[in-house]
Amino acid sequence: MSDVTTADPRPLVRVRDGAARVAGCRCRACGEPVAFVWPRCPVCRAETAAASFGPHGTVWSATVVRVPVPGRTAPYGLAYVDLDDGPRVLARVKGDADAPLPIGSRVTLLESAEERDVQVEVL
Amino acid sequence: MDVAVHGVGTSHFGRQPDRDLVALAWDAVREAFADAAVSAVDAVWVGTVFGPPGVAQRVLRAMGITGIPVVTVENACASGTTAFAEAHEAVRTGRYGRVLALGLEQLSTAFDGAIHPEPTDPEGRAGLALPALYAMAAARYLHLGTATPEQLAAVSVKNHAHALHNDRAQYSGRYTVEEVLASRMIADPLTLLQCCPTSDGAAAAVLGPAARDARHVTVRGVAMRSGQPWDHRSPHVWGHDIVRDTAADALAAAGLAAATDVDVAEVHDAFTIGEIVTTEALGLVPAGEGGKAATEGVTALGGAHPVNPSGGLLSRGHPLGATGLAQLAEIVWQLRGEAGARQVDRARLGLVETMGGGVSGLDGNACVITVLEAP
Repeated sequence: MSDVTTADPRPLVRVRDGAARVAGCRCRACGEPVAFVWPRCPVCRAETAAASFGPHGTVWSATVVRVPVPGRTAPYGLAYVDLDDGPRVLARVKGDADAPLPIGSRVTLLESAEERDVQVEVL
Repeated sequence: MDVAVHGVGTSHFGRQPDRDLVALAWDAVREAFADAAVSAVDAVWVGTVFGPPGVAQRVLRAMGITGIPVVTVENACASGTTAFAEAHEAVRTGRYGRVLALGLEQLSTAFDGAIHPEPTDPEGRAGLALPALYAMAAARYLHLGTATPEQLAAVSVKNHAHALHNDRAQYSGRYTVEEVLASRMIADPLTLLQCCPTSDGAAAAVLGPAARDARHVTVRGVAMRSGQPWDHRSPHVWGHDIVRDTAADALAAAGLAAATDVDVAEVHDAFTIGEIVTTEALGLVPAGEGGKAATEGVTALGGAHPVNPSGGLLSRGHPLGATGLAQLAEIVWQLRGEAGARQVDRARLGLVETMGGGVSGLDGNACVITVLEAP
């Protein structure tokens, strides 16, 4: 997406304690995990504190995009992954996109994701 | 003050890159003004998503609508019905006497192909094209056994058949479930014939105080909500809960006990799974039976709860900002008994549901639901 000059809006994946984790935040009041660093909780508006999530999670749903999308080469696999004790994140699925990842698959976050996508592979 | 729809109008729907938005909007406004037997309004609300800055005033000046308040609103695919909801409120509160709600969109010239995912949104930047968002819901339904691929396809078969009787529709046809499933895969499990097309069009409604008039369709209730967080805690697929909650508001405003009290509905079937989830969320059919309802003809013309007699977004087309008002025009025609070969017998109450999405982590940018009553 070379034509986009705004800050990259995707969740940031950082290696901590030897594993890739999403650097986000958690609500100090209701405990809601968020994949982004936001000043307030989107559920209850309380203050948040920095938190990181992952590296493991479970596929909630998945698809393969087979139509042209600017800056991407179709087909590519996407999955909504519920990180363990963490938020649901949209992740790019590593590898060939022959078929969607089975729902319920256990996956792990990968570091230095392509194009800064949150990226996962099957455990 | 009770509010009525005095007149409606639409352009043709389809890829029309050789026409401009002035021409498309004029088709809709000319028809709506003639239908309402008026030549002027006191204010205009315009819904558009990808219309360029100033598009509302630019098209309206060409039809002599100048010097009055013009407000443009954007709520993704629900922009047209958001304009309608605001126009309704302006009349209801007495702020203006007669108001035009106009929706317009020209997607064929805005994009080379399908709508591009929004790069300033986290999931848009990650390549979540709109078919993929709905595909996630469809995959979930299939995984849980809440719907089958054949039931998904049945929605497309039904709505394409409905559109055979709508000469404003972009597409129509007699397809089989097998043909729908065999069409090109767009985002698994949604195939081409399960996805709305790229469309251009405009639609309009003139609103004013309800009076004794054989052509005035009364607005019984309008409700709009924007989404709450949709995340790992959400019990349902994306878009379900906002439709359910907005429906509760709209039905309460209309004084109805349940959506099953309406005789005909136009709902947001941008993708087949959308109609299945929406009919369940509205309460038109029991939870988990949206797919079964499509297969068994419950939601077909002649069924117990006809849904999308116009052909829906899948077949009539989906010019984003115009869609909500196109849905509204269909229900107005149905309630006036003017829907021709697609007329629902003795339709007295109708419902319009529009759903806009595209902001990740929220259960929709906006949902607008309106309940209308025959003259």
